[in-house]
Amino acid sequence: MKDDATLHDAKLQELAQRLGAHAAERLDVEATAAALVRRLHEREPQRRFRWMQPAWLRAAAAVLVLAGGVALVRRLGPTLPPHPSHYVAEDLNGLSAAELRDVLSGLDQTLNQTAPLPSEPGLNELGPEQLKAVLHSLEG
Amino acid sequence: MASPEPVAASSSDAALIAAWQAGDEQAAAELVRRHARALARFLAGGGAREADVDDLVQETFIRAFRAVAKFRGQCQFRTWLLTIGGNVLKDAGRRAGREKVVPLDDALRDRDGDPHEQAVAGEAADRLRAGLARLPRMQREVFLLRAQQGLAYEEIAAALDTSTGAARVHYHHAVRRLKGWLE
Repeated sequence: MKDDATLHDAKLQELAQRLGAHAAERLDVEATAAALVRRLHEREPQRRFRWMQPAWLRAAAAVLVLAGGVALVRRLGPTLPPHPSHYVAEDLNGLSAAELRDVLSGLDQTLNQTAPLPSEPGLNELGPEQLKAVLHSLEG
Repeated sequence: MASPEPVAASSSDAALIAAWQAGDEQAAAELVRRHARALARFLAGGGAREADVDDLVQETFIRAFRAVAKFRGQCQFRTWLLTIGGNVLKDAGRRAGREKVVPLDDALRDRDGDPHEQAVAGEAADRLRAGLARLPRMQREVFLLRAQQGLAYEEIAAALDTSTGAARVHYHHAVRRLKGWLE
């Protein structure tokens, strides 16, 4: 025979099993399923839109940054110093004519690789002041 | 793109979930057919008003389908769904400005049989609902999953992310307190 505690447990369980029984019976399962499918269907395009939104935003942001960058460069462009403030030739003051000739020969070789100037006179014929003038002219 | 192969009603929950993820809406509908009533009982047992049960069932399924990728099969789909139902119920309670909704469910009283027995049964059911509403959420959910839904402690523990021992303790605390209120 069951004791009081067991009977109580059984009664409690029976009551618990009946909880919500009416709500469950009243539920129109087919209508709920149909409504749910409809809601899921409605959410799908929204979800797709949400997925696409960051791509649109990213593209728009990239265009804005690019356009802004171009505008900034254009605005700052004319204010930039046209020439470097430091002339390399100033460092050449202490060099002798022979050393200046070596520097210019090296420079000449570099220039000849890109744009050969066969008609230029030889550097050997130039004096120190003329060589410095050539270096200044090369620096612009 | 070819539409996915329709899933039969005899398919497992796992197959239906996979089909839904592949875009088969009818698989979602089949999952609703299978589990909506159990969910409705759980929600009503947890304190939902009968008038709200339909909406809460739908909201629970919506959340479940949205989060189904997170379902790893640690418990049955239904058990997982019921725990989501618990969250939905809690949020609904918050929105309504009341943590616990304790309706008097006329349906708990039998329509047939002795009127005196009906009255006694109805009163006991009302007290049980009132008692459930006073329990901490964990105890209430463990009690409902165990006593109402008939689930094993292992299953309850997996669904609620706790240990089997803890689930057992929650249940026994709930039973002890409910018995005290029912007597």
